[in-house]
Amino acid sequence: MNISLLNRTLTFVLTFALVNILNSVPANGQAVLEVAAEVDRLIDSQTQPSSVNVCNDETYLRRLFLDLTGKTPSFDDILVFNLETHPEKRTKVAEVLLQDADYGTNWGRFWRDVIYYRRSNDQILLGASAAEEYFSNALNSNTPWDQIATDLITASGDIREDGRTALIAAQQGRPEETVSEISRIFLGIQIQCAQCHDHPTDRWKQEQFHELAAFFPRVAVRPQRDPRTFLVYAVDQIRFQPRSSNNRFIGTLEHRMPNFENPANPGPEVAPKFFINDQSLPLGTTDSDRRNALADWVTSTDNPWFAKATVNRVWAELVGEGFHEPVDDMGPDREAIAPEAFNYLATKFTESGYNMKWLLATIVSTQHYQLESRNRRPYDRLPFQANAVQPLRSDQLFDALMNSLQFPEMPDRAEQLVRRQFNQAFGYDPNNLREEISGTIPQALLMMNSQILARQITARPGSMLGNLLSEVDSDRQAIQELYLKTLSRRPNRKELATNQQYIQQVGNRAEAFEDILWALINSSEFKTRN
Amino acid sequence: MTKSKFNRRQMIQRSAVGAMAVSAWQANIASQAATMRSQKTSCILLWMGGGPSHLDTWDPKPASANSGEAGSTQTAVTGVHISDRLPETAKVMQDICLLRAMHGPEGSHPRATYWAQTGYLPSASIKHPTIGAHVSHHIANLDTDLPAFIRIGGNRNLIGAGLLGVEHAPFSISNPNQPPANTLIQTTENRFSRRMGLLGKLEEDSMRQGAEHWTRANRKIYDKAAQMITSPLMEAFDFEQESVANRESYGTSDFAAGCLMARRLVESGVTFVEVSSNNWDTHFDNYERTTTLCGEVDRPYARLLADLKERGLLETTLVIWMGEFGRTPRINGRGGRDHYPRAYSLALAGCGVSGGQVIGATDSGGEDIVDRKTSVPDLLTTIYDKLGIDAFHENMSSIGRPIRVVENGSLIDDV
Repeated sequence: MNISLLNRTLTFVLTFALVNILNSVPANGQAVLEVAAEVDRLIDSQTQPSSVNVCNDETYLRRLFLDLTGKTPSFDDILVFNLETHPEKRTKVAEVLLQDADYGTNWGRFWRDVIYYRRSNDQILLGASAAEEYFSNALNSNTPWDQIATDLITASGDIREDGRTALIAAQQGRPEETVSEISRIFLGIQIQCAQCHDHPTDRWKQEQFHELAAFFPRVAVRPQRDPRTFLVYAVDQIRFQPRSSNNRFIGTLEHRMPNFENPANPGPEVAPKFFINDQSLPLGTTDSDRRNALADWVTSTDNPWFAKATVNRVWAELVGEGFHEPVDDMGPDREAIAPEAFNYLATKFTESGYNMKWLLATIVSTQHYQLESRNRRPYDRLPFQANAVQPLRSDQLFDALMNSLQFPEMPDRAEQLVRRQFNQAFGYDPNNLREEISGTIPQALLMMNSQILARQITARPGSMLGNLLSEVDSDRQAIQELYLKTLSRRPNRKELATNQQYIQQVGNRAEAFEDILWALINSSEFKTRN
Repeated sequence: MTKSKFNRRQMIQRSAVGAMAVSAWQANIASQAATMRSQKTSCILLWMGGGPSHLDTWDPKPASANSGEAGSTQTAVTGVHISDRLPETAKVMQDICLLRAMHGPEGSHPRATYWAQTGYLPSASIKHPTIGAHVSHHIANLDTDLPAFIRIGGNRNLIGAGLLGVEHAPFSISNPNQPPANTLIQTTENRFSRRMGLLGKLEEDSMRQGAEHWTRANRKIYDKAAQMITSPLMEAFDFEQESVANRESYGTSDFAAGCLMARRLVESGVTFVEVSSNNWDTHFDNYERTTTLCGEVDRPYARLLADLKERGLLETTLVIWMGEFGRTPRINGRGGRDHYPRAYSLALAGCGVSGGQVIGATDSGGEDIVDRKTSVPDLLTTIYDKLGIDAFHENMSSIGRPIRVVENGSLIDDV
């Protein structure tokens, strides 16, 4: 997207020839703008209309690019978008971006992180890039979310080859952990709290948790050599049964509910039963029947938790605040913020056929998404009065740097190595509450002091800054372009004055601009999305 | 700094500050460190991530079938036996106080780690601070150049500063054999501070409404980072400054390097250093694996206590050896031990702890506590007492609820 994506598609936008989902009605669903307006109305009726303004075009575009594609808009994108006068241009540009392959890459990394940050073991990271690839492709082809959930629940195979194994692999196939993750991610329910005892505040019982685990006893994850990997596989016949199944290299035919008072006793066998609809399967059911049944029941349109868990997470990611927080802990007996709006949007998502692009286009079309951003609200303030400033995920930050500084083409392997440094310093678990994510000294050191960035901000011939300074004689214009390239906005008057004064003080144009560029990428604004 | 050998002197000489600063800076180290040391207590937490088996470390039961191949050895203190795979530690037993009656409520790593490091169970609305963050908050001099709380090694389950905020968050170093990454400034010191000034001014000018939280946090972190990397105290990370004999006396494991770095950091005024040994989750091949792990930990731990003592630092430095829980006394089908919070052991030394004693006991199989059951809040209350921190102090959480440093703990007598 370095050369303006919008430039390429501008003509289409202007002539309405773009194939879009904006005004087309998805199967059993409603048009994006209508649903977005209704969500806004329902939220306002349950909280109150916000006194915060809708953000300006520059802010919106950077926010949208980062949220959908994980990248910042190019200089040209910003200019073209500003010139465009179409009244629905904000939704239209979202649709353009949702057709771009960067969309799948960005959200693929997001879902990879949702699963892999909760891994039980670091060796299993071997499967992370396959997971990213699977999600990326599935999202780009707009595979319905129920199909994606089904893929993850029913997967088997080599974790380096088949990214559908991600969720099971990340928990090394242990039934309790695997079903806890399925419940957390696809239902927004933390049923694992009932693992050892009846849940203290929720109504699920220990027995129901183990009935859920009973969908997975036959699945195991086995290490392989040459090449080094792990296999997710299931067996319906077991010749030799090891006494304990903690490492799960071999599954067990049935799940047993442990007795914590008496760990030596293996406990009774438990038959699979799904706690949401109380449907069950007899002992002895094959693995494939168990997992297919579970996938059907989890993704059933009769199960409201499935749509809600996804809507809540995606909404929270985009608006900065979920209807429920933490995003994966919704119940059963907890009150959502603006429950009518939440139920309505979840219902529409179900009716759309769990269409993820439709959901994203709808949320970014709401006024609540488009409000100016503010610090996260204190608990005692009204919800949904602004979008919340979000720290960039490490991949977004790295891509923003590559875009802004126009890194020279790197071989994939080299890019991965640098990206990994950023992931180590800036990576965070996207399941956690965002207010817990704070800056760290190693992050500051990487940004202010690493050789890799120091090289990229020099004004040497051929670098982004070098080209800019040789092409633009006016300092004022060069400052403006630098702001657009890094922060995707023009500088205000004070910023312009400070920078001009700085250039004079330093007395060396190239040096002064290197310092300005250094300051811009080290600013809190660059590392967050507003 | 990624490739070049770490050398602070080289950096200073390359910078505009020049040679004159070198002698001033050496004098400065000595005086800053001395001031720090004269007033403060410090703490080194040796974190045994995964949960070490008490039967294979501090609470051997050679007469029980539960012990498997594990044996025991007499220590320097008559009547106190520990694992025969901790021979160096046995020699410094006079400085160590063992707690053999620890118990906890949680059997999963993340929850038990949270409990062990905060004294609270995880909650969605309140983020409790880890021990190092409380120590940083209460007794660190935050004007010193190095971070007050440094974490070496470490794993994903470890806890941060929570409601105490970024100033008290750990500075993490993944590999103690290398100085921390990106600490060599890429330009002259003059230009570096000029850039910092510009950054500050531009953040003020940007007038981003409603993003003050991020701007302030960024400023704090950058100031702290800049102060650190331009400080002469950065020498603490440089093992070249340590005699070869002393480096070797710690041993060669990463944990050994971490212990040596911890001593150097405490000496330079760092208030809390956490060093992790991460592989104690011995679900299978427990005997072989605990033998290796004891081998990695034994000498550095014993040497750390002796080294601190030789330098007069043990009196003011509390050294805690602990993990999140113990392991099942009964050996499982794969020769391993599983999670066991019901009874486990840990070790305290220094900072006024009465060494050479054992507090609490388990039964003959190491399965149940029979004397002086001790909880994590009791332990934390005692730790904070030794360090001169008020365990009843209340911090305000983001939901406006006051949270005590420790809830429901009582001092462990005799420690």
